[in-house]
Amino acid sequence: MSINVQNLVKRYGSLTVVHGISFDVGKGEFISLLGPSGCGKTTTLRCLAGLEDADGGVIQIDGRIVSAPEQDALVPAHQRQIGMVFQSYAIWPHMTVAGNVGFPLSIRGVPAADVAKQVDEALEIVGMRHLRERHPSQLSGGQQQRVALARAIVGRPRVLLFDEPLSNLDAKLREGTRIEIKRLQRELDVATVYVTHDQEEALSMSDRVVVMEHGRITQAGTPKELYRRPANRFVADFVGRASFIDVERGKGNGWSTPSGIALQLDDTGAPEAARYQAMLRPESVEIMPGANGRSEDGINVLEGRVLESHYLGAYTEYLVDASGTRVKVHSRSDFDIGDTVTLRFPQEFCRLVALADEARA
Amino acid sequence: MSEQAIAAGPPAVSRARSRAGAGGAVLTGVYWATFLIVVAMVAIPVVALVYGSFRTSAPGLPGEWTLQNYAGLASSGVLSSMTTTLIIGLFTSVISIVVGTTIALIVHRTDFRYGNIVVALIGLSFYFPSFILAMAWIIVGAPGGIYNTIIDDVLGMSWLRADIYTSAGIVFVMSLHQVPFVYLTMRGPISGMDPIYEEAANTAGAKPHQVLLRVTLPLLGYSLISSFILTFVMTIEQFAIPALLGIPGQVTMLATQLYLLVRFTPTDYGLAAAIGVALSLITGAAIWAQRRITTAGRLTTVTGKAGRLKLIPLGRWRWAANLLCFGFIFLGLVMPMVILIYTSLLKWFTVNPLEGMYTLRNYIFIWESASTVRSFTNTLIVSGVGAAVGVTLGLLCCYFTLRLQPRGYRALDFVVSLPFGVPGVVLGLGLLWAYAYLPLPLYGTLTLMIIAFVTRFLPYATETIGGQMVQIDKSLEEAAWVNGATRAQGIWRILLPLVTPSVQGAYFLLFMAFFREISSAILIYSVHTAVISISIWSFFEQANWGLASALAVVATLIIFIAMALIMRLVPTARRG
Repeated sequence: MSINVQNLVKRYGSLTVVHGISFDVGKGEFISLLGPSGCGKTTTLRCLAGLEDADGGVIQIDGRIVSAPEQDALVPAHQRQIGMVFQSYAIWPHMTVAGNVGFPLSIRGVPAADVAKQVDEALEIVGMRHLRERHPSQLSGGQQQRVALARAIVGRPRVLLFDEPLSNLDAKLREGTRIEIKRLQRELDVATVYVTHDQEEALSMSDRVVVMEHGRITQAGTPKELYRRPANRFVADFVGRASFIDVERGKGNGWSTPSGIALQLDDTGAPEAARYQAMLRPESVEIMPGANGRSEDGINVLEGRVLESHYLGAYTEYLVDASGTRVKVHSRSDFDIGDTVTLRFPQEFCRLVALADEARA
Repeated sequence: MSEQAIAAGPPAVSRARSRAGAGGAVLTGVYWATFLIVVAMVAIPVVALVYGSFRTSAPGLPGEWTLQNYAGLASSGVLSSMTTTLIIGLFTSVISIVVGTTIALIVHRTDFRYGNIVVALIGLSFYFPSFILAMAWIIVGAPGGIYNTIIDDVLGMSWLRADIYTSAGIVFVMSLHQVPFVYLTMRGPISGMDPIYEEAANTAGAKPHQVLLRVTLPLLGYSLISSFILTFVMTIEQFAIPALLGIPGQVTMLATQLYLLVRFTPTDYGLAAAIGVALSLITGAAIWAQRRITTAGRLTTVTGKAGRLKLIPLGRWRWAANLLCFGFIFLGLVMPMVILIYTSLLKWFTVNPLEGMYTLRNYIFIWESASTVRSFTNTLIVSGVGAAVGVTLGLLCCYFTLRLQPRGYRALDFVVSLPFGVPGVVLGLGLLWAYAYLPLPLYGTLTLMIIAFVTRFLPYATETIGGQMVQIDKSLEEAAWVNGATRAQGIWRILLPLVTPSVQGAYFLLFMAFFREISSAILIYSVHTAVISISIWSFFEQANWGLASALAVVATLIIFIAMALIMRLVPTARRG
């Protein structure tokens, strides 16, 4: 394990922002901390970096305890050997590109010649070598971002930390940089923790995603697990688009809507909860014209009427009213508002989720 | 400020429209009235000073044109006081910058335990008048003063004797006076700096002191240079400290030489004016440089996201931090106050408190003497009325230069900022020249005093109010117009309420500045228009330490009480 976090607690005065969370990051693994703002993800990252002092729990990096406040052990940030990319890049405005990238080396007393060599290597990797003598004010946002990346990797850190590094870039640039960060991380084979509130980033880059809410981990798993089998309504909602149908236990072992329509659900390993919903991803629902067909084994069929239609280019998103429940559907076929339609979706894509406590939602 | 105006100004098209929309004849009238008053206030003394510097005689007497005064600048006497001025200015600025910045770093960046009390006491010492500080240190450090008596008679270590009437003494007391200014100017940049730059250095492996040296201080560079230049300017135009300490010890700075040439025979008003012009050129150039540096060097390091930064542990240096902060407060505020209170209670001055004959007669005298009571009333009138006049003018100037921007607003903006470069005692000399010729019966009136003070401190008002006004988006007023408000209603209902905090702050700032002002008053007061600062000065010059101390104690208490009251009533005044 490159990073091991056990029962991490962080408080600001009487306000607890991280409630004893635990997770691991394996060697070379890419982990995202995903959640809405205020969920404690950035605070967790800052505790890893040593920029915040944790109030409880143990953090180990490469088997060495760097934070254990109960044992009075807190290794300061500058001794943790990490590389970090900040949201606003934090490129020092009074140093050149080379000065910025070389800082982690020169501050540790690496000889100037080696610094120059390694700086060039790092800048080469991010494609910025030709700008090494520039000042930060002469760089675009995307270039500053690359400098920040080069500075984070130049010292051969044991872990890489990213604090929403793409949120200040425009959409096009964001996609390119996403791919580049991922490639770089794979080449360096270094344990990485990536904080974001963008589910697309988290899903596309991570080996595993840790979803956080109110300072707690709601679910941790591979991107596929999160998308296909979210633990609760919050995760389902936050990761990807989804529609929800209230369900309750019907006769026998089956499930049905409040209006009595039986549904075949994927309920394997679903957590215990007071109330449940069925989650449907819009792209896994098939929509057909007219009222036809009946449920078969493993396939649910609902009849409904088109309420809204939003043309999005690659597909159209329809909102369909199916006996009182509203279902989002993505389709490339054309329907008019008011059309009668039939929805078909297989059992495996109709996932049972627990409705999170309403007090906290 | 002109740069701000340009930056904040709308593009040409919308400006043309807003000028057309200004329409109101009243507003135009107010603009030209403001323009004339401000230009007259600033231009009259400046022009008179330059005129005087080319005349052979004293103000009001027949004389001829001459260049002799400027030739006099090259005399060995003037050159040596020029050198003295620059050297004392440099030493004082370096010491003040180092101490002030260190205190700011200790208070705002480390786990120093007494931040609140140090901030409050440094705020107090900022308002502690320079001439009162100098008096207290004379009582302590004069050859026959408390310190040397203790050294000689009690400790018998005469090699430790020190003399306050020297260049070193002046540098010491001036540094004590300037440190709070440096602290206050560096506090904003230090506590408002985006902590992310330091955090990045921290995660990159830099130890706390390396972060300080390689990231924090370089990023503060422009603020440091700017604060350094302003401190230098305030030091070389200082009048009270060099006069009180330097005249007895024959250490002459330019401001004191000017004063001596006017007040003591053989007088030479022309040479004094030429020195005034030279001194103003130095300070003016320095301030111009400071403006250039601050606008050129606005690195985007200040964000408002401060406060998340982890504090640097002082560790085993805690004692040094405590010593520096509390040592400064002791030397700059507490001890001078104690000494003044002690001196004011003595019948005859003695170093040994056990031998002292204590009395309240000095305080009773203040209460009973018509002249001291009058100087109190004068001060309250000048400060109260003057600050109101200054704030009104400042508010109008800001509105015209930042918002309405009618024809000639750049000239107004320039003229308003001029007094920054004119030392107080030079301004006084200019007014002395001017009102000897002008057919206005102002000489020897409180009105002249108010004119002098308002002129000198008008930039304080425009900086304070303008600083807030540029931050108020113009669209807030435009929204009011769209919703049916006239331009005047827009000002009255939207703009004024939004700038009220800075207006209150500016009034407070001017009131305090007027209350302790001495340098621009020293050459133009008369018996009837003496203010408290002048009375204290006169008593001290007559070697009446007891009375001067008593008056100083009362004046200081009034300043502190006013400060506490205003801080409580107007929380935003703290920004001032």
